[in-house]
Amino acid sequence: MSDAHLVLEALEKRFGAGPPAVAALSLAVQKGELLGLLGPSGCGKTTTLRMIGGLAEATAGRILVAGHDVTTLPPHKRDMGIVFQNYALFPHMDVAGNVAFGLEMRKQSRAEIAAKVERALAMVHLDGLGHRRPRELSGGQQQRVALARALVIEPSILLLDEPLSNLDAKLREEMRTEIRDIQKRLGITTIFVTHDQVEALAMCDRIAVMRAGSLEQLGTPFDIYESPATPFVADFVGRINRLDGARDGDGDILAGPLRLRAAKPGPAGRVTVMMRPHRLHIATDAIGPEWNSAAGTIRRATYVGDVLACEVDCAGAMLTVERHTHPGQPIPREGEAVNLAWRVSDTLAFDA
Amino acid sequence: MPIASRLALALLLPALLVNLAVFLVPMGNLALLSFQQASAGGALLGGFTFATWAKMFGDVFYAELVLDSVTIALSITALTLLCAYPIALFIYRTPERWKNLLIVACVSPLLVSAVVRTYGWMVILGDGGLVASILRGLGMVKPPRMVFNTTGVVIGLVEILMPYMILALIAGFGRLNASLEEAAASLGARPFTVFRRIVVPLTLPGIMLGCLLAFVLAVSSFITPKLLGGGRVFLLATEIYDQAIVTLNWPVAAALSLVVLVIFGIALLLYGRLSRAIA
Repeated sequence: MSDAHLVLEALEKRFGAGPPAVAALSLAVQKGELLGLLGPSGCGKTTTLRMIGGLAEATAGRILVAGHDVTTLPPHKRDMGIVFQNYALFPHMDVAGNVAFGLEMRKQSRAEIAAKVERALAMVHLDGLGHRRPRELSGGQQQRVALARALVIEPSILLLDEPLSNLDAKLREEMRTEIRDIQKRLGITTIFVTHDQVEALAMCDRIAVMRAGSLEQLGTPFDIYESPATPFVADFVGRINRLDGARDGDGDILAGPLRLRAAKPGPAGRVTVMMRPHRLHIATDAIGPEWNSAAGTIRRATYVGDVLACEVDCAGAMLTVERHTHPGQPIPREGEAVNLAWRVSDTLAFDA
Repeated sequence: MPIASRLALALLLPALLVNLAVFLVPMGNLALLSFQQASAGGALLGGFTFATWAKMFGDVFYAELVLDSVTIALSITALTLLCAYPIALFIYRTPERWKNLLIVACVSPLLVSAVVRTYGWMVILGDGGLVASILRGLGMVKPPRMVFNTTGVVIGLVEILMPYMILALIAGFGRLNASLEEAAASLGARPFTVFRRIVVPLTLPGIMLGCLLAFVLAVSSFITPKLLGGGRVFLLATEIYDQAIVTLNWPVAAALSLVVLVIFGIALLLYGRLSRAIA
């Protein structure tokens, strides 16, 4: 990709002996794109971010920004804005001092700095709080200061390391849209590290799902969710039902007592079948040929207000079905016999 | 009075009484002593006179003594800080499992008495000692004298005070955090700028605590200046000893002790002011 703004080429990080923390990672990020690095803790996503920012040394591979190799450049020469998980605000400076720091390092004039700091604080809705100390601010406000401080230097790339994980749920959603809006408005290439799949799906242009130091799948949120490349991705991004089975010569899959058909054909052999719980239905009518079905008994019904989840025992195979609640629909009783149905196109099969 | 306050008072009482008995009363005695007359032979004649204090304020020797003591103690404090700071920073950044070992290693010199360590320095710094031999080996014809002068006293005390300084520094480094340094670097600060703008300000509480401790210990240290100074370095603590034990002029010794107390008071006051200023 010729117009890629940030390129990682076979990037590797080893800490002593043992398997590498990041192995042969290659990625190309477009200008103005927000790319999420998503994965469980220890998958190497933060290490990757630290290598991009120059806070960790790559043991192999290259990092290119706008075509220039920055792999061995120290962090203070990389021109990247970083927002840390704990915000890392300087406690001995006030808010304005924190935001001004990067501009002072760039030897800008006092008047220029003052004007830029004011604009940056206005951008994150902290007008007039410039003289507060970081400890006098709420978590959300500290987060905004960290964002303003990283953006005011107009960095070539913005790196966000789990910036929302220390906020409560409501604030997290608010900051999610706010960060995304600012990022779009400034058109700044951004890498966003998170272990929260909802965050990644909601904010990112593309998501790189990482596992044990390697790239598992790279794609848009839609691709990642609807067409996961591996059972790991399917399992990590969203809730999912999982059955182990085998595909016969006709393309039918036998998973325990169930005979299913999957969205895509494949060779005979062992397969893992996965279905999203909310794509399963408790069937009331006769079903068409484009549907898989299973008969079972409700073992548990969990009502959480907007969603009702039922665990259904289909002759030994446990399937979870979720649906939105409705005051007209009664909550099924445990022990009730039901028929489950779901589209063949919603049935993902992975060759083992 | 609520029960909690009464209980607090009751619990404080023993400590108050002990302090009163072993600190305030002797200090009062010392103050009274400085206003008494003494015969040439050292016998206290009683009475009440400002003669000792008049002599202290009139004689340039005492002004110089105070000034020298404070200057030397401040130099020792500054040098101790300079030597101890990198070590403390290194230990603070060491992973937890090595940290304790390193702290023990730093504090272990305290297991050897200051007298022994001072004699050790006399051997090392002496005219035929290790340092002089090395300097001669390097081609220096006449190495500088390093014992029985201020240089020796400063070297010896810096080494003796370093463990205290290191402990105080580490105790005061709590606000330091690796991600703050990384944040500063990512904003364009060079390593030295990170040190100057982030590390030093954040470690100021430790620096101040360490300096207060080292200064107080330096002013009141007696054995090291006595031995390494060889009687040629006049400091408050050694002078008090000489006045009390050699010259047997107890009123002067008492007055000098109170001067030391005033110096400590000023140091504490400064420490408190600065601590509040940076908080």
